[in-house]
Amino acid sequence: MQTIPIPHVDPLPLPGPVWLFTALLLVVFTLHVAAMNSALGGGIWTLWNYLRGRHSEHPYSRRLANELAQLLPTFLAFTVTLGVAALLFVQVLFGNFLYTSSILIGSLWLAVIPLVMVAYYGFYYFSYTAEKGKGIAGCVLAISVCVLLCIAFIFVNNMTLMLSPGRWLAMYRAHPNGWNLNLGDHSVIPRYLHIINGAIALFSAILAHLGMRKMKADAAYGRWLVQRAALVFAACTGLQFLLGMWLLLAIPREIAMVLLRDPLAGAVFGLSLISVISAMLMILLGSLSEKPSPLVHIGFGMTLVTLLLMVSLRYLLRLAYLKPYVSLGALAVRSQIGVIVLFLILFVGGLATVGYMLWLVARGAKTRVSAMAPR
Amino acid sequence: MLIALVAVLHVFVSHFAVGGGFFLVVTESLARRQNDAVLLDYCKRHSKFFALLTLVFGAISGVGIWFTIGLVSPEATSSLIHTFVWAWAIEWVFFFVEIAAAIIYAKSWDSLSSRDHQIVGWIYFVAAWMSLFVINGILTFMLTPGRWIETQNFWDGMFNPTFLPSLVARTAVSVILAGIFGYITLPRNEGREKVSRWAAMWMMAGAMVLPLSLWWYFSRIPLFSQLYLNGVLIGVRHAVRGGVGFTLMALVIALVCGVWKPRWMRPPVVALLVVCGLGMIGAGEYLREFVRKPWVINQVIYANDIRAAQVEALQAKGVSHTANFLLTGDTAGLAYGENLFQLQCGSCHAASGYRGMRHRVDGWDAAFAADILQHIHMLRGTMPPYAGDEQDRKALGQYLASLNPAWQFNVTDANRLEIGEKVFGARCGHCHTVNGNFRPLRGAFEKETPSQVQEIFPALGAMSSNMPEFNAPDDQAQALAFYISHEANLPISHTAAPTEMPTGSNHSQLLRPAEPRQEVR
Repeated sequence: MQTIPIPHVDPLPLPGPVWLFTALLLVVFTLHVAAMNSALGGGIWTLWNYLRGRHSEHPYSRRLANELAQLLPTFLAFTVTLGVAALLFVQVLFGNFLYTSSILIGSLWLAVIPLVMVAYYGFYYFSYTAEKGKGIAGCVLAISVCVLLCIAFIFVNNMTLMLSPGRWLAMYRAHPNGWNLNLGDHSVIPRYLHIINGAIALFSAILAHLGMRKMKADAAYGRWLVQRAALVFAACTGLQFLLGMWLLLAIPREIAMVLLRDPLAGAVFGLSLISVISAMLMILLGSLSEKPSPLVHIGFGMTLVTLLLMVSLRYLLRLAYLKPYVSLGALAVRSQIGVIVLFLILFVGGLATVGYMLWLVARGAKTRVSAMAPR
Repeated sequence: MLIALVAVLHVFVSHFAVGGGFFLVVTESLARRQNDAVLLDYCKRHSKFFALLTLVFGAISGVGIWFTIGLVSPEATSSLIHTFVWAWAIEWVFFFVEIAAAIIYAKSWDSLSSRDHQIVGWIYFVAAWMSLFVINGILTFMLTPGRWIETQNFWDGMFNPTFLPSLVARTAVSVILAGIFGYITLPRNEGREKVSRWAAMWMMAGAMVLPLSLWWYFSRIPLFSQLYLNGVLIGVRHAVRGGVGFTLMALVIALVCGVWKPRWMRPPVVALLVVCGLGMIGAGEYLREFVRKPWVINQVIYANDIRAAQVEALQAKGVSHTANFLLTGDTAGLAYGENLFQLQCGSCHAASGYRGMRHRVDGWDAAFAADILQHIHMLRGTMPPYAGDEQDRKALGQYLASLNPAWQFNVTDANRLEIGEKVFGARCGHCHTVNGNFRPLRGAFEKETPSQVQEIFPALGAMSSNMPEFNAPDDQAQALAFYISHEANLPISHTAAPTEMPTGSNHSQLLRPAEPRQEVR
């Protein structure tokens, strides 16, 4: 029998402890997914409401599409920015797996770059033209959304392929030029649908949360938004259960069994189910009444907790997949303590700086509103 | 080729992202101090253009470089990541702040007070420059790892010998580009002259610092890189001339159309200016990459992603015993040779196309190709040593020879010289010239007749361990001998080569690039 080829681990020691890289990876990846869901889920929401808002009887849809149009480029900017950090940390821990799978689907993997640019410029174009509601704005947005859907598909292929070293050699021999997809893996399709549906669900929770804030300025519009978002959130979350079950059946049995056998994975899985069900209940209950209640905010918070738990679960399953090939605990470590401390200080400083700028913006908006108010 | 283009465009835009941010915030403060509404309006328009270009193209193409290096040089990327992950993490923090600041700056002209808006602008510039600061450390490390080789200490790698000169040079380039891009949103009527002269001033300021910093940089790079830059290789010479030419042209345009006659600064002239800027960056990046050859990380990893420390084992055991991904089980045939080509040469060469091998190996037979692979690192000083055993070399040689049909000549008196020159190009020209400075043969063959020259051929392989065996068919050998004898006996003034070659580069100096390799082993 031929042994499964895996590129060797880098001879240089890891420049920091595994737990630190893991923690950073989970944090930045969760944020990346939140931003990605805002860009993709937001794109889909915007497109739907833009098309719906072209009829005069749906002024709120039109208004929502115009408001979201201004945010989409920023969502995508942060998807990319946070994605870079996730890519950096995942390379440290799993570089030899990720590089190989990336090479195997290399041509498509590289295509991600121009595709992101197309989607990004499309979002900008839409943000400039949406309000006028004429011309090809809707088409451009639809193209951007489709492109994002393609990018997500390429990512799912790569992220599943890196977990399956057993497929690599045959795939390389079949198409050494990088035109491969990992469709032989039955989990790719359910995983992809799970992610897309999840993006719509998560952004719906964000919208429900935003709708609560909008109610302060315009109660009717805010209520419309909260209730509509809550319904979509509930529907998508229900569908997400079915897709999740499909996904669990599609991944190899011994990997799925980890959820039962490994106490940590089991606990994370159980908690994520509890948190998502409670998020769904809270958002639905909170939004149904004539005056939506703050339960919606708590439901939104629980949705974010679910996201973190799901990302952690994904990580634990990745470890289970790669267990035969790598043991992170066995990697040599030589921590660059001084630089790590410097990074952490700058990280906090960077967040504070961004927070400070947002505070400046909020203060500016407040001054402007009070200056415009009738005396 | 596409990858190189994306990389150059990224460098172009990302340097503008640093300099342009500085330009915007300084211009804004000038406009506000002078209460100049036209200039302020220019800043607003420019910031929108700036955000669209840097946030989208600049940022995404940067990610593109990440994707690309992981595909082309996973070993080197992994090595850089293991050494500098925290540097990249720090750079990412600055990048994150930079993106947030750029979005806010471009969007909040009307909503922020003038003071707050300028604060955001300064935050943007500091974050952008700091990300340049960090990346500059990693980039310069690849050519001059300095004391890191012994200590493997992060700070030694980061603040390596060329860190400072390169940082100054890159900052100067950023300032020049800020001026160049400043013309893109030039006001059509009112304020045109003021903005035009202002942008030209930026270009001049950057251009004054640039030559000094490059000279400083040049003095700190390894000897082999200095030799490349001194003009040993034609490609490098073109790039040096191109870089200097584009920069001078940009400055002339700035002086004439920017300062003297601002109304001449029309879109075609601005486009030309942008092309000059791109040419300047393209030449600079090409040179920076090229003078590092045959390394990707000097003294650690070769350009074909093979570690210097692995070469000896690969030569002893052969690739088939160590490689994970082979397309074929037959480790002697043509398919294996092609596979080896992809593994070991594919980072820089394709069969045809970019740095294509087809025309480079035209006229090689399998045995000659296998033999020359053994001496591949001696060719021009830009190739890494061949990392494989004899069987690997034979298989790869077979593949290289298969790229072209074997040469068949009908040698006559009329075409003998021409065919001889062709054979010389294929068999000798990769390492020698007759009358040039590049390992010249004139000394050995001056006053020799063709038949005397041909008598030496069978002994070539035994003459030096660096020479391949001579095995060309007899008619080619005759033509080659005729050519060498003819050229070596030309009066020296008839030969163009010495004027092409710079003074001071001779055989022994050319061999120096090989030295560090031997030290590592």
